[in-house]
Amino acid sequence: MPSFTLLAQSVLSGIFVGGLYGLLGLGLSLSWGLLRLINLAHFALAFLGAYLTYTVSSVFGLDPLWSLLIVPPAFFGLGVLGQALFARFGVTQFGSLLVTFGLTVIIESLIQWIWTADYRRLESAYGTASWRAGGLFVPKAELFALAAAVLLAVLTWAWLRFTWVGKGLRACAEDPQVAAAFGVNHRRLALALSGLGAAFAGVAGAFVALIYTLAPSQIYAWIGVVFAAVILGGLGNPLGPLIAGVAIGVTEALTMALIAPAWAPLVSFTLLILLLLLRPDRV
Amino acid sequence: MRRPRVAPAVLLTVGLGLLLLPAARVPAFYESFLYLVFHWVALASSWGILSGFSGYFSFGHGAFFGAGMYATATLLSAGLPFLPTLPLAGLAAALFGMGMGAVVFRVRRLRGELFALLTLAVTFVFATIVLNTRIDGGPGVYLSAVPLPRLAGSATATLYLLALGIALVTVGTAYAVYHARWGAGLFAIHDDEDVAEVLGVPTYRYKLLALGLSSGLAGVAGGIHSMFVTYVTVAETFSIVVPLYVVLMSVLGGARHWLGPAIGAALVTVLMYGVTGGQTAVAGRAAVGLTLMLAVLFLPEGITGFLTRRRSARPVVTTLDMAQPVLAVAWNRPSRVAGSTLLVCDDVRKTFRGVRALGGVSLDVREGEILGLVGPNGSGKSTLINVVSGHHRADGGRIVVGGVDLAGLEAHEIARLGVSRTYQIPRPFAQLTVRDNVAVAGMFGRLVRDRRAAEREAGRWLEFTGLADRAHMLPAALNLHQRKFLELARALASEPRLVLLDEVLSGLTPSEIADATRLVREIRERGATVVFVEHIMRAVVALADRIVVLDAGQVMASGAPQDIVRHPDVVRRYLGKAHA
Amino acid sequence: MLEVERLLVAYGDATAIWDVSLTVGEGELVSVVGPNGSGKTTLINAIAGLLPVRGGRLRFGSEDLTRLARHEVSSRGIAIVPEGRRLFSGMTVEENLEIGCYTLGARPARGARLERVYAIFPVLRARRRQPAGTLSGGEQQMVAIGRALMAGPRLLLLDEPSLGLAPAIVDHVFEVLEALHREGMAMLLVEQNVPKALAVASRAYVLAEGRIVSSGTPVALLAEPHIRSAYLGE
Repeated sequence: MPSFTLLAQSVLSGIFVGGLYGLLGLGLSLSWGLLRLINLAHFALAFLGAYLTYTVSSVFGLDPLWSLLIVPPAFFGLGVLGQALFARFGVTQFGSLLVTFGLTVIIESLIQWIWTADYRRLESAYGTASWRAGGLFVPKAELFALAAAVLLAVLTWAWLRFTWVGKGLRACAEDPQVAAAFGVNHRRLALALSGLGAAFAGVAGAFVALIYTLAPSQIYAWIGVVFAAVILGGLGNPLGPLIAGVAIGVTEALTMALIAPAWAPLVSFTLLILLLLLRPDRV
Repeated sequence: MRRPRVAPAVLLTVGLGLLLLPAARVPAFYESFLYLVFHWVALASSWGILSGFSGYFSFGHGAFFGAGMYATATLLSAGLPFLPTLPLAGLAAALFGMGMGAVVFRVRRLRGELFALLTLAVTFVFATIVLNTRIDGGPGVYLSAVPLPRLAGSATATLYLLALGIALVTVGTAYAVYHARWGAGLFAIHDDEDVAEVLGVPTYRYKLLALGLSSGLAGVAGGIHSMFVTYVTVAETFSIVVPLYVVLMSVLGGARHWLGPAIGAALVTVLMYGVTGGQTAVAGRAAVGLTLMLAVLFLPEGITGFLTRRRSARPVVTTLDMAQPVLAVAWNRPSRVAGSTLLVCDDVRKTFRGVRALGGVSLDVREGEILGLVGPNGSGKSTLINVVSGHHRADGGRIVVGGVDLAGLEAHEIARLGVSRTYQIPRPFAQLTVRDNVAVAGMFGRLVRDRRAAEREAGRWLEFTGLADRAHMLPAALNLHQRKFLELARALASEPRLVLLDEVLSGLTPSEIADATRLVREIRERGATVVFVEHIMRAVVALADRIVVLDAGQVMASGAPQDIVRHPDVVRRYLGKAHA
Repeated sequence: MLEVERLLVAYGDATAIWDVSLTVGEGELVSVVGPNGSGKTTLINAIAGLLPVRGGRLRFGSEDLTRLARHEVSSRGIAIVPEGRRLFSGMTVEENLEIGCYTLGARPARGARLERVYAIFPVLRARRRQPAGTLSGGEQQMVAIGRALMAGPRLLLLDEPSLGLAPAIVDHVFEVLEALHREGMAMLLVEQNVPKALAVASRAYVLAEGRIVSSGTPVALLAEPHIRSAYLGE
């Protein structure tokens, strides 16, 4: 039986990785829940953001967090463009799955072409620094990532809850026809939301670059667990992926500590399967 | 579907030619390359049997392929000779697939994108299990020391022949399923599974067996592939490549055609492996992704869809008004006792999420009568039809058709008893021709005809409803009147004992209503019992022998039309106290 | 104020209503009655801009609304209470009401109008933070009417407000409508329930199988055979 410190450290790292799941899942949950579009390419986009952050740091020598000023706004534009194309072609929910599947592969190939398949590790002050709190290690980068995840989730939740645009979006998601009867312009809101989701992908990517070693194939490693977090947390709920992500992360970490590391990925996928089988109406 | 004899002959010829290739002593490179083509043809075509035909897009084909690969690898490591492992690999994969399907297909809401996600998740779970147990354990399985039986001159030639074999078997299987009743059922499921079930297609069984076939064939292909790579690892076997490529190849070639996935597979393999080496391999992958996107956006029906659409765009003679329904239609029926009760509803209840749609409805329908079912909005008329036809299950009460209690019966079993229905808003199978829409009903309803006979008989029903000259059109090309008559033809093709018509007249012009009314009388003359829901009172009064009035889920009044129209409760309900 | 001229609305090639002409004057309460399937909801949805118009014209005040974009109708002064309420069930009662004044011009009046709606429907104030989907049918109908009132309309369109409601609740709803009418609100009311619809209206039309078959004062209409034959087929 591992020591208490080890368990506590596991739980802590589970919380941190859960924060990342939440950060990655935020954009996905919004577009699936509110726009009825499943954007698989969200992950590839995040990794593109990660690689761009890596370049900002290692090539230009800047503090990697500067990329947060460049990448998310640029990605916002990409998101708007993507939504415009989807609307133009009248892509269905299932069609969006296939199209973004293809887009994922394209972006992954682009990444591999520019940065090669070699492992890339962003070396920065954040990378190795960590604070100590009562016998536990709190890595700086991961804490920042968690903070960003919580901040963005709460801000988005507040935006949806309290602003006019947010309410309009929620109304549109339920009944676009009646919402239009009261003045809600679905098309414009969809463009804005899509841009926002893509920008969030960029933010998530920046933190992935800070914490993890990058390789193009890693894109696929996150798909299953983030989908599980998104579905578990309830589509369209900004706080959902975060809360569910933390729950999954902690469960995975405890599985790793108490059973064996290799079985950890099983947790999220099994949860996803069980959820789909037992509560498909949640989706 | 029109000239079935040409295709298999061509296939056999090509197959024979390819079979003799090793004897021509071509360089091993070509044999390897063609191996890959056959490999992907087998994988894509097997995927198409379930996913292309029924529309249940699986992202988990890699799991079955991997199950086959690891089954063979494990058996080889245990000392079994190569060839016997192949059918065992297929069996293992098939059992895995059917085990998954047995659970998943029971969950009604797990279709479309949810099914795709679930299959993807299953692949990852399976891969993790394989990685962490003794099946692989981490380092992978080395098979280079395993002897390969020499079916031809060299190892590559042997693998070539094996791959050719599985490719031919798979494509042949796809062909057979496509042309059988099974295939017709799968295509019906693709367009509207609920309607297919109510028409008599045993949807659960068909999907399950299709999945079993699909996964089994993929498993065999996997078994063969294990000896091609000779080093089996989890990362390579369960990567995103297999699920992605089979989807792409099928979408590109046309998932709805038996040869579509094969064409797509050949094309993509040539594109991919035609360019080999470093950077261009990456470009190749990007091209694959781009092709999928473009195919989904611009060529959703794939190459075969595009070609067949071009071919069938012959000018069709369109008559401006409906031809007179042909009256010389004989209806094979067992002799019936006039006046006996055919349908009994006893205190039937149905509640939807707290809303009580049927609160204890009791009524009888006698053989050979035309019963009109009326009532205000929300009174439960459509719900009653849904419950009798099996579209929904009643929460309480008894329904008996021809002496058989419907409790516990699946909708397709109810169809076999001789119950058929139309839908208020027509629900034709959108991608089947008018004739095929009707043929499906003939294949799976009370009469259970084989495909050829059903297609022939369909013509009769199209003549009866005046749609004969539109037999080869798609439902989208019909106007509302014609689509309602297609519903009618489809409901009649199984020669049912009880026909339930749900607002067949709504939206029609007065002259069209007269046509339809005449047809309903004909249907009764031919031996069926009719229950029809309507709002157009004057039509109901003219047509019905008896009328039952529903209100808020219960029977408010029943009797002869003249009495009902003057019934004080009915008048009060519709027009208020002043009028009564 | 509202002029509907020879309106034709079709779904695909199925014509739902044709050659429908009617008017609603300032402060008038006009009812359209007819059996199910006669096209009442199609008519109302077309006037509200939710359905495209195939032929004919829609004029409101001095403006031609026939080709106006869906989300612009509300700002012209027409608000709809849809059939079956169609509330945003995941949102709270208050949020549903707020959507009513979503248009930029209406937002500043939010507070005042909200107070007015709560004054008319006190029970909604008590339930303001509840998800709209948890309310009873009658309460939901009040939210739907309140939502439309929040838009500050000059014309209120009501599609079968009595649908699915118990008789006592229906009475209450119609009392509210009469009160609003007395304050000067113009309304076009589409209803299957003849007695209720004719009791509150100053003028009425009878719609059957997609066309207007009769029009006039309620008294005159009840004396005619048209309503009876439309509903009971004689």
